Amino acid sequence: MSLSPPTFQTQLTLSRPYLTRRQISKLQCKTITDRRSYNQKKIVVIRYLSELCTRLNFPRKTLETALYYYQRYHLFNSFETELCYTLATSCLVLSCKQVETMKKINEICNLSFVLRNIKMNPMKNAEILNNFKKQLFHLELKILEACSFDYRINNYVHADEFIVKFGKKLGFSYQVCHLAWLIGYDVLKLEIMLIVPQHCISLAVLKIATELIGQDLEIWKKRETFIKLDVQQLQFQEAYFDILNFFINAFELCDLKDNLPVGVPMISIDTFIQLKKRAGPEVGIREMNESSLKADEYFAVQREYTVRERRYTLIQSLVKDESNSLEKMH
Amino acid sequence: MSSSSQFKQLEKLGNGTYATVYKGLNKTTGAYVALKEVKLDSEEGTPSTAIREISLMKELKHENIVRLYDVIHTENKLTLVFEYMDNDLKKYMDSRTVGNSPRGLELNLVKYFQWQLLEGLAFCHENKILHRDLKPQNLLINKKGALKLGDFGLARAFGIPVNTFSSEVVTLWYRAPDVLMGSRTYSTSIDIWSCGCILAEMITGKPLFPGSNDEEQLKLIFETMGTPTEATWPGVSALPKYNPNFPQRLPKDLRMVLQPYCKEPLDDNVIDLLHGLLQLNPDMRLSAKQALHHPWFAEYYQHYTPAPPSS
Repeated sequence: MSLSPPTFQTQLTLSRPYLTRRQISKLQCKTITDRRSYNQKKIVVIRYLSELCTRLNFPRKTLETALYYYQRYHLFNSFETELCYTLATSCLVLSCKQVETMKKINEICNLSFVLRNIKMNPMKNAEILNNFKKQLFHLELKILEACSFDYRINNYVHADEFIVKFGKKLGFSYQVCHLAWLIGYDVLKLEIMLIVPQHCISLAVLKIATELIGQDLEIWKKRETFIKLDVQQLQFQEAYFDILNFFINAFELCDLKDNLPVGVPMISIDTFIQLKKRAGPEVGIREMNESSLKADEYFAVQREYTVRERRYTLIQSLVKDESNSLEKMH
Repeated sequence: MSSSSQFKQLEKLGNGTYATVYKGLNKTTGAYVALKEVKLDSEEGTPSTAIREISLMKELKHENIVRLYDVIHTENKLTLVFEYMDNDLKKYMDSRTVGNSPRGLELNLVKYFQWQLLEGLAFCHENKILHRDLKPQNLLINKKGALKLGDFGLARAFGIPVNTFSSEVVTLWYRAPDVLMGSRTYSTSIDIWSCGCILAEMITGKPLFPGSNDEEQLKLIFETMGTPTEATWPGVSALPKYNPNFPQRLPKDLRMVLQPYCKEPLDDNVIDLLHGLLQLNPDMRLSAKQALHHPWFAEYYQHYTPAPPSS
């Protein structure tokens, strides 16, 4: 919503932390011109961030949050190949602040230079570092804006933690949880984090893990399972089918095939095709129809960063109140 | 904030841990707000404290917690827009000082404020959030007698700092003895100790334990509450900064400590509540929920919604 009385120009945006697949496509149409290049770079970025996180001893949640930011950024900002590493590093810096895995920024920056084989000139070290940090902080604000300063998503709920929590609650074995945790790494390559909350993803991943181990459990057919875990069934199904589709359509990109724990049967594309067949019709969250999507400024109008004052809120009534007051003023 | 803003910037209200706070007017709705301008750090970028405060306060919707309405991004500045409150408890108590003599608040007002403080805190703790910096400056009040918890810049995320952004020393006066002795496993009880200190301060008008360093702070606490031993607080001697040579003191009668500074007679209930909040052993302290069920608040929980005292 853009409010433009004569004395000031401001833009008030109500946060929408999760979007449907069609809504995401609509936004990406304006920001990603070369989808293939975007996907390729994303895989490179995941490897780069994974390496940074491993070397800095960060938990999975730091990586997960950074990748959420990376993808969310590209819903409202153009994809630029040359910016990827800087943007990814900025996502990691912000993720550290968000999930409280604190590290000195200089340490992250220096490791980033090492991983990218950037030769440092001793005479200009400080200058290079400072310029890099300036870029990181500039991007950090843009990432925050892309998320509408809405931290509800990555504040408490992280997929890997919920794999363990749900796994324990449902009485699954260590083997199932371990396998689910490994599948969870591949899930970071998907856009599903932008679509459904992480705990729904965790449960979907656990279901796939039990199925790969050959367990055919009744609990997945019972509504009580989902009610007990506060998971919406449609969101769960959205995640479940999205993950199966990834293994079917991009099996060569999955890390799971090379990291299967001992005792887990071998997997192939066919394994996942069979799972999908058994699952029945593909269902998921309801999509907005095209005409509503066109009428919605959030998707129809490119986000305006030239407006000097950009405000972000989670409170729907605040938007209504201001809108009503403006109408009265005019 | 310039004239081209939706908000008219009015007078400065104070400096927070990482920001400057101004009173503001929403030109569209005519509502007053508090504008917290975040200083963006060239070494750290967006301060973690701001990120924590935004993430926690956007989730906390309670009538005794200051509401965060929205976040404004203008060029290189972030401004958090909060619900406006007329005053803070510190300024209010200071305004009642006559000459050099502090004056406590009327007991019915103390009770009303303490009830609201505990209500807000119980909500935080239910949502697994520790405030960690409760002090009268961070308790905002308005003319209707409402009290709300504010300044969540230190909430949950970080260890208690020695220095604030402006190198002003963070007050020790409300810090729990277990934290002062280096405990790293503290939990909700850390906020309960602060509530006890604040309750005593509202009664007398002066801080209960005004220490100027960790050592003196512990000394003042032990002088009044007694020096802990393994018998009264199992595990105390294992705390990193425990000193076996702490001077041994016996607990004082809290009524004798506070009554000289209070015009009204202190009843057994308020003294008992203070004891529950100011237990040296954190495991023995009341929870916020338990404190709300203390007999001192019987008139409130029996009628559920307390009305502000007429005074």
